[in-house]
Amino acid sequence: MVLGVENKIKLDVNDTALSLPRIRLVSAPLLRGRMDYSRFLSTNAKTRKPSWITQLRSYLANPSSDILWLAGGHPDASLFPFKETTITLKNGQEIHLNQDLMATSLQYGPIEGHTPLLKYLADLTQKLHSPPRWSETRQLVTVGGQDGMAKAFVMLTDPGDYVVVPEPCYAGIFSELTSLNPHYLPVEEDEEGMRSDLLRSALARWKSEIGETHSEKRLKFMYTNPSGSNPSGTNMSEKRRREIYALACEYDFLILEDDAYYFLQFQDDFPPSFLSLDTEGRVLRFDSFSKTVSAGLRVGYVTGPEFLVEKISQHIMATVMGGSSLSQVLVTELFHMWGLEGFLRHVKEVRDMYRRRRDAALSAAEKHLTGLCEWRKPGGGMFLWLKVPKVKDTQAMLLERGTKKSILLVPGNGFTTRPELPCQYMRASYSTVLPEEMDKAFQILAEVIRDEIQLNNEVK
Amino acid sequence: MTDCLQYGPTAGYPPLVKKLKSLTERLHAPPRWADTDLIVTAGSQDGLCKALEMMIEPGDFVVTQEPCYTGTLSILNPFEPRYVAVKCDHEGMNPKALKEALSQWKPEEIRDVKTGVPKVLYINPNACNPTGVSVGEKRRREIYDIASEYNLIILEDDPYYFVQFGNLKDFPPSFLSMDTEGRVLRFDSFSKVLSSGLRLGYVTGPKPLVERIVLHKQVSILHASSMSQVLISELFEMWGEDGFLKHTEAVQEFYLKQREAMLEAAEKHLTGLCEWAVPTGGMFLWLKVPGVSETWEMILNRALKKDVILVPGRAFMCDPTTPCSYMRAAFSIVTPEKMEKGLKNLSDLIREELELQKA
Repeated sequence: MVLGVENKIKLDVNDTALSLPRIRLVSAPLLRGRMDYSRFLSTNAKTRKPSWITQLRSYLANPSSDILWLAGGHPDASLFPFKETTITLKNGQEIHLNQDLMATSLQYGPIEGHTPLLKYLADLTQKLHSPPRWSETRQLVTVGGQDGMAKAFVMLTDPGDYVVVPEPCYAGIFSELTSLNPHYLPVEEDEEGMRSDLLRSALARWKSEIGETHSEKRLKFMYTNPSGSNPSGTNMSEKRRREIYALACEYDFLILEDDAYYFLQFQDDFPPSFLSLDTEGRVLRFDSFSKTVSAGLRVGYVTGPEFLVEKISQHIMATVMGGSSLSQVLVTELFHMWGLEGFLRHVKEVRDMYRRRRDAALSAAEKHLTGLCEWRKPGGGMFLWLKVPKVKDTQAMLLERGTKKSILLVPGNGFTTRPELPCQYMRASYSTVLPEEMDKAFQILAEVIRDEIQLNNEVK
Repeated sequence: MTDCLQYGPTAGYPPLVKKLKSLTERLHAPPRWADTDLIVTAGSQDGLCKALEMMIEPGDFVVTQEPCYTGTLSILNPFEPRYVAVKCDHEGMNPKALKEALSQWKPEEIRDVKTGVPKVLYINPNACNPTGVSVGEKRRREIYDIASEYNLIILEDDPYYFVQFGNLKDFPPSFLSMDTEGRVLRFDSFSKVLSSGLRLGYVTGPKPLVERIVLHKQVSILHASSMSQVLISELFEMWGEDGFLKHTEAVQEFYLKQREAMLEAAEKHLTGLCEWAVPTGGMFLWLKVPGVSETWEMILNRALKKDVILVPGRAFMCDPTTPCSYMRAAFSIVTPEKMEKGLKNLSDLIREELELQKA
């Protein structure tokens, strides 16, 4: 496949530019033929059917305006007690939800999401990613990015299936994925992200040991958190992304791109997302507003091939029945007021704030942790991933002794596929901590580590 | 506002959870309150879904009322369960039918067995969707006893609790209120009385079971929208429990008026063509068309031409191939004039269908 990345578009916003690569599609005929998605579905997904109301709706392609709808179970919204509201933004602007908007906010909405919001998300996605197969791509609003992923895991994973994950990996996905009993293929990373050479050898080994002989043990997907990854803060380079996408094509697996920290990348030139490289329709992308607009409103969205997104939508119909309408209306009104440009300006400010916090964390680390810890400079996100070479396992150190000194970091073992093994890593979050507090925290952490080394020496 | 916008506890916004616990204690006085927990979910259906996913393996037996709410069937069907369908009549689930449905097992043989036997009983006891009728107290106690005998967990799905017609003090006691053994998981919803779009419901039940649901929430939705929770909490703060209950009375009144209009239109146009029981709450009228053995075709293929749409009863059958003479009409958002017109069109449709069958 030939894709040229050329002539980066510079979005000049307040003197500093946010660069977006323009993907040049060479020619349409080079796009491969249709993927057979049914091969990737779990038994659960295969047996899941659309609800009766979807079937009913399909008969109503052209309903007359006179149709008397006695079918739906919508409650009467005139009885809902909330009438209207005005929300003041931090910049002084006001968002007003009049009675109509409030009524919409309080009623069941379309399962796939509030229609005006989906339009903004479509525009934003096209602008930022220009997905090569946009006409076969669909989006849904989800209750946070994570629920989209949870539903994707259930859709794709049968017990015994093989799944590639980064090492270290966001702990939140293990909780859902592990309960589905997959085999993990963890692949380590370096400063550029997941090592494509290690991925290739893991895949080759899988193929020769399992893939050739046990066709029922499917290699289903790779989970990746490529921007400002949780917990290591690594941004995957463009080179790695292309190499890994090529491997996904070669070994025929899907890519679940968890990009909750997309806007929190600290460089100005963002590498292309997997979605933007997706000529074959292998990518399910999970976006989130949690780090940029609000975590509590629970608004995220999934973008991907129509067939797979439809399955997720069926699962949503049976469970949460859509995200909170009020939350979605609020985010939509924000887009109305700011436009995409205003939104991108806002996320730039958010990014700048996190970069300042990162810098403060690094200063504090250099000052107090040099000689005790090793770390890489986070390229994005909100975490610093610290290794303590002289300590075998950080769990007891942090949970028992660290807490006594009023400091808490997350022990690294939860971010691995083998949490029962000792782990020398720990994750520090700099998202909500002020620079002075960061300094104090690492000072205390240094003491805790020194004490631990002392303790280990005494035990020896 | 900060609370509205930030991540919150998985179990729910603490001030709201506190208020909901107080309300639940007041309304149901659960016998094992000290061992009971309550959490907020993104709509009661999500709570129900997590409860079922917690307890069902592919191919498991599930005891459920029939007809059954389609949402529940959507949750269960991917597990390819073996439904133990219990026929309901004009008073809801019939304990005799329940006993008969379970008769293939001896209680003492299956009580302690972990797999391959029924473990769960799903019931929508008030103003059931789709039948609109409620299960009386006597039947509830019998059903509870049978569940106890067979060691089943009762999933009490009660979104229409607050829209039962009549006085709160006359409502039949909930399964939660008679749960001396800790076998009831109860699902409440604000969708019919405060807002469906805010996506807010709550689960009440034995601590070990509720804890599992919390774990699943932690890895999926994380928690219900903070803003939604804060709004409802502030409303309770402003109104108090009494104010909230007073509001639900206003909601009931509205649906009662709608029911009356619907019944009037039904009597006028459908007498002789359909049979129905008077809904005891909620928003649905469950119409039987004795002369038509299967309403699916009639509705999906021919109703459109008559400008009327209802839900064919087959959608509520555990076995989707079972023919069904019933159909469900909703009276929540239709004006009396539209009901009149709709049921008139429906009567024309049925008459034509009967003619068609003769031909």
